[in-house]
Amino acid sequence: MSTRAPADICMILEGTYPYVAGGVSSWVHDMLRTHADRSFHLVCLLPDRQERQHRYTVPGNVVGIDHVYLQEIAPGSRPRPGDHRLFRRMESGITAMVRGGRLEDLARLDAALAPMRRRLGRRRLLNSAAAWQSILRLYERELPEASFLEFFWSWRSMMSSLFAVMLADIPPARLYHTISTGYAGALAARAHIATRRPVLVTEHGIYTNERRIEITMANWLHEVNAGSLALQRKKRDLRDLWIDSFTGYSHCTYSAASRIITLYGGNQDLQRRDGAPEDRLLVIPNGIDFDRFAAIPRVNGGRPPTIALIGRVVPIKDVKTYIRAAGLLRRQIPDLQALVLGPTEEDPAYDRECRELVAMLGLGETVLFKGQVKLDDWLGRLDAIVLTSISEAQPLVILEAGAAGVPTVATDVGACREMILGPPDETPALGDGGAITPLANPQATAAALAGLLRSPERLAEASRAIRERVRQRYNKRHLDRIYADLYAETMALPDAAPVHLHTPRPAGFFAGWRQKRRGAA
Amino acid sequence: MAGIGFVLRRLTRQDDLTGVVVGYVYAALVSSGPFLVTVIAMAAVGLLGDAAGEQPAVATFRLVTIYNFALSLVCCGPFLLVMTRYLADRIYEHKVEEAPGMLIGATAVTLGLQLPLVVWLYFIHADMTLPERLAASVHYFLICGIWLVSVFLSALKDYRAIGYSFAGGMALGFAAAHLLLPDFGAAGLIGGFAIGLAAIFFALTLRVMVEYPYGILRPFAFLRYFPRVWQLAVFGFAYNLTIWCDKLVLWLAPEAETAAIGLVSNPAYDSAMFLANLTTVPVLAVFIIAIETEFFERYQTFYRAIEQHATYREIRANQAAIARTLATAGRSILLLQCIVAALAILASPALFAALGIDARQLGIFRLGTLGSLFQILFVFLTIVLAYFDLRMRLVQVTLLYLGLNAGLSWASLAWGFAWYGYGFFLASLLAFLAALAVVIREVGRLPFLTFVKNNASIR
Repeated sequence: MSTRAPADICMILEGTYPYVAGGVSSWVHDMLRTHADRSFHLVCLLPDRQERQHRYTVPGNVVGIDHVYLQEIAPGSRPRPGDHRLFRRMESGITAMVRGGRLEDLARLDAALAPMRRRLGRRRLLNSAAAWQSILRLYERELPEASFLEFFWSWRSMMSSLFAVMLADIPPARLYHTISTGYAGALAARAHIATRRPVLVTEHGIYTNERRIEITMANWLHEVNAGSLALQRKKRDLRDLWIDSFTGYSHCTYSAASRIITLYGGNQDLQRRDGAPEDRLLVIPNGIDFDRFAAIPRVNGGRPPTIALIGRVVPIKDVKTYIRAAGLLRRQIPDLQALVLGPTEEDPAYDRECRELVAMLGLGETVLFKGQVKLDDWLGRLDAIVLTSISEAQPLVILEAGAAGVPTVATDVGACREMILGPPDETPALGDGGAITPLANPQATAAALAGLLRSPERLAEASRAIRERVRQRYNKRHLDRIYADLYAETMALPDAAPVHLHTPRPAGFFAGWRQKRRGAA
Repeated sequence: MAGIGFVLRRLTRQDDLTGVVVGYVYAALVSSGPFLVTVIAMAAVGLLGDAAGEQPAVATFRLVTIYNFALSLVCCGPFLLVMTRYLADRIYEHKVEEAPGMLIGATAVTLGLQLPLVVWLYFIHADMTLPERLAASVHYFLICGIWLVSVFLSALKDYRAIGYSFAGGMALGFAAAHLLLPDFGAAGLIGGFAIGLAAIFFALTLRVMVEYPYGILRPFAFLRYFPRVWQLAVFGFAYNLTIWCDKLVLWLAPEAETAAIGLVSNPAYDSAMFLANLTTVPVLAVFIIAIETEFFERYQTFYRAIEQHATYREIRANQAAIARTLATAGRSILLLQCIVAALAILASPALFAALGIDARQLGIFRLGTLGSLFQILFVFLTIVLAYFDLRMRLVQVTLLYLGLNAGLSWASLAWGFAWYGYGFFLASLLAFLAALAVVIREVGRLPFLTFVKNNASIR
């Protein structure tokens, strides 16, 4: 362990801030600035040592940045004959990890590596004859029917990342905050084992679920039993190995964490499925600057009924469903204006398809592409916004429009339902701030919009409900305070009890006992 | 979140594994074939000169031929295998447009580098007439050219063209030498053979140009392979030096002679050894067939099965098949070579008497025959190492052979005439055993080599 002065919070980031721009990175950047009174140490997990540019100006309260290169661990010392014993010691921990391991397994692996951590690197852990023998043993035990080429590469990639995490220096801190499970979560769990300090995990998307989708879709994995009739139960294959290993990291993260935070209730089902204990689950949504958007004046007269889709013109936003819904809605509201507010350059082919659809449906007068605009100029002149996305996490535009008193009709994805209709436990219930519709269903979207636009009372009611909900639940100033309190409270926790190394299962215990007896005899 | 996904996708870049698979098919011909050509040429001219009663001219010719072949092989050696590798990789990539350019470029580079050496040897060191100096120099460069062009032939695998070219060229050279000898003496002999060599060189170049009808593109691009596969350059140099170094050492013997033109040789040792080397001719054919057909097939099966998602059990089975093939081929080569060596040794007294060779050379010849037996087996093993791209091992065993041959020949020199030949024999035997141990070890851990040790996409 280094002799550095401990930071208040060590934030552990996998493939994101400050090197990648995006939603999570913006959130991290905002957290660092919001909690300017705390010192942060960042640990950034990156795939390789390739030179990367900072996409954000890291604020001054960040006292250090460490890097962990998952696919490129340092060479370390040269292999030596005793390495076979090291691998034997690690193997049960490794096997447990790829079978959906627990915190005790991680602790065992950590203990096996601890005496020689400084000297280990890829030469001994990945490229040595001992590592090769270990790969062969695990292949025979786990997946003897799999393509060895793919097993080898998969295994190597998994082990490289796992060892990178196991070998990484842990900066001293009073609290470890990981922004995902996966390898970042595993590192936080290791920090917990090593320092006994508390861990928080905040998940935006659910890591294990994203990996599960990615791996299920992966075309780089060779299908061994493709084409065979699914009469027998499908054998365990490489995909399972990958998914189980990620599930294992989630297990470890959740076991180590004192609080498991996500943006909305829907994610919690997935967290529960991966073993998150109920009493540690917590929703802290992202918030917006309520006062700024609430101050936008409403312009109600002297304009046609207006709806808008606010977002990039890309397939995931399913703009075509929006266009079709606008076509259906125009039959009832002939002077309807349906705007598309957002950049159109990202996917020119899709943009062209959308414009062709507009022309084909004769909606040239109704659907207008305005490109990227300053939202404040437009929100006051909208009656409702529409979200037809096929996937979202927690789209802030619903909150921004809501603060300005504009209700939303959105598909049932991510946090949309929770934001528009309110969470199940809302007291007092504030009512619907718009409507939720099924995916890719223009009729439903058009019907929901007609219900709002053709009834001034309902529109006014929805406007009031969404504005009030945003004020109560999604005000950023309020949410910042929740995190500040959580940080203060968690940092003040005493050191946890040490994690017990997993006691061997009875069979293993007796096997060892018998062996000892034989050795004695 | 930009997660681990992009790391996973990197896994599709597995094609480097197959990049290891390159052809070294003809390393055998490139290293052994030319040596045999030398020996045959000298034997032929020896008969010619003796018949014509022109002993001094024949002596000069023999010296020039020995020096030219030895020097050119050692000097071109570093280029030959690097060029072979470069060409094999281009063929693998289906980008053979550079082939004719490389021939021109390599010729220019090697000739440019060796010009000072040749000028020093024939114009400063040796005491010769001007026509002799010129003929010897041209002779030298033609031999270099033939070595270089043979790299391309190895890729063409057109044995027939090579065979006809060499046979035709040698016949032409023999005839020309026969015609020129009476009027021009040594210069006529050397020049006559140079005509034959020129015919071989141009016939082979023509064959290459027909195969690769492209312009001259990036003639020096192959030079950037030197830092990458420097081990092949070292191997090419060291191996060729090895097969000549016992002769070089024995030129220091008291029995060595300095000819009137100022070049040294040890006729007793040299001719016995050259004759002994001829005993490897029958086995070369067996050898190439074994490598080219069965071994290459198993070798490809091994790598292809890995690419086509074999299980580890299948990979092990393919590895065992390679080992079996090698053992079988090794056994038949050993057996055949033993028979040839035994026959040669048994027949040698009668043969020497018939050819009128000094019976004192019999001992050297016998040791040379046994040494050649192990030398050819050593070559067989180096090709196996080259196939598996174990370049460092290749360098190690070859440097060992070089050191042994030089050191033990030196020792035999000190112990006197009765020991001449033991140096080469023992060096070949020990180098063969070392190479055998290396090959057994490496083939035994072939999957580890393929996936980890020798895998270019692994850091």
